[in-house]
Amino acid sequence: MLSLNRVTKQYGSFAALEEIDLEFAQGVYALLAPNGAGKTTLIKMLATLIFPTKGEILWNGDDIVALDASYRDIIGYLPQDFGYYRNHTPREFLRYMAAVKCLKRDQVAGRIDELIEQVGLSDVRDKKMRKFSGGMIQRVGIAQAMLNDPRILILDEPTAGLDPKERVRFRNLISSLSKDRIVILSTHIVSDIETIAGSVILIKDRRLFAQDSPAAICRTLSGKVFETDAIEQIKTPRLLLTERQENGRTITRFASERGIGDSGSVRSVEPNLEDVFLYVYRDEEE
Amino acid sequence: MNERQKNASIEAILDQGLIRPVTAGRHAYNMLRELGLRFIFWDTGYGLFFAALSLGFASALFILAPAEYRASAAVTIAPLLLLFAVSFAETAERFGGLYEIKQTCRYTIRQIAALRMMAYSAAGTVFTALIAYVGTQGEFGFLSLFSLCLAALFACAALSISLLRRTRNGWIPASLTAVWLLGNIALMFAAGSGWERLLRNIPAGAALAFAVVCAALFAWQLSKMLREVKSYAIA
Repeated sequence: MLSLNRVTKQYGSFAALEEIDLEFAQGVYALLAPNGAGKTTLIKMLATLIFPTKGEILWNGDDIVALDASYRDIIGYLPQDFGYYRNHTPREFLRYMAAVKCLKRDQVAGRIDELIEQVGLSDVRDKKMRKFSGGMIQRVGIAQAMLNDPRILILDEPTAGLDPKERVRFRNLISSLSKDRIVILSTHIVSDIETIAGSVILIKDRRLFAQDSPAAICRTLSGKVFETDAIEQIKTPRLLLTERQENGRTITRFASERGIGDSGSVRSVEPNLEDVFLYVYRDEEE
Repeated sequence: MNERQKNASIEAILDQGLIRPVTAGRHAYNMLRELGLRFIFWDTGYGLFFAALSLGFASALFILAPAEYRASAAVTIAPLLLLFAVSFAETAERFGGLYEIKQTCRYTIRQIAALRMMAYSAAGTVFTALIAYVGTQGEFGFLSLFSLCLAALFACAALSISLLRRTRNGWIPASLTAVWLLGNIALMFAAGSGWERLLRNIPAGAALAFAVVCAALFAWQLSKMLREVKSYAIA
């Protein structure tokens, strides 16, 4: 189990994260917060790129600083801006990364082919990466992170910049990889995690705001989300969430603390993660 | 101290005591064995190529330099192999998109950079000997010139590694190279024969002693960087 105990990260007098307590067991954990909320700071601390100013990060009870290389041996990391060698083929690149990760040479060849197949790049495994799409590069990134069969897979904004089809493909891949490991991914794209995350972590004002299953997080807004095609008639204080067109009408989705109930054109709806996201981070939106 | 704290302290002491710390030499050997030279210097090809080009140009200038400025020119050029190699190779590495990933591998990129510096300093020593051999003339003997060059080499090596360890700025190695080069050229222009005379009057023993102190400092920093875990390499 991976746990964070009262972790604080400060840059001079600026606190990027404060007093974070978290526990990760097997499954997909999604760090959901707007840009600049501290997701990447947390991810980088878990990947040993930076270290907490206060508090500790423990893997099975041992401090990851003391574990040193033996902790790095069990993590796989895909950063937000994944660099690669344009003139290398996926196979060459993975061979190089395997060497840097000190993997045994006799086991590497088979593992590389297996991973290339798993990420769906078998057809292009010997093609130079310079003509690869963003999604293909991200899949090479995932493959390099999986080379050492990590117990903890850390992905920083893995779907940023991908088209919808690639995002779905990537989500399915992450889901398949999470069966016997901890997968921690940061994102601000709600649809990325709705279906695959077992646990959602919300960070607000540099602190942990909530950690629960997507369903439980959605329930916190239960009875507070409504839809109407006559928003101008709603006089109670409300937060506009989304709008869509339906049969020539504009349907507005909004949240209100006061119970409005189904009346006239207003109907209560089941909240989703996007509603929660917009509601929790409403101050940042303004 | 309560019972719980006492037990935790005892456990911590026992844990520490049971783990035999790996020496820097052993660590370097393990890295060399597991990674191999090919992968230690992978990715530094372009950097080393440009370093070699720059060094070739600087060496040509040294050979063409007037004989009355031989000592100051030798001191300027002696650490350039190390400085150019560190500047070109490590700056490229720091700005490469794989730096973060490499920092999360068993041997971090900073540890690999330390190992590379060992190699650069060894190559720098050979280059220094070559410079001293080519530059030796008249009463200003090989040992005097070699000692001066070695002192310059290890002073720069110690400074480079200290800066690499303590700063996150990718331009630091290149800045140090520029400062060293421009500073020495400025000294030659400003102080001219006075600077040359001063260098020639430094006893070989004193220069050698200074070189040994700097080399010890370099080795100490190197051993720390080789085993460093909590290194804030990333901004």
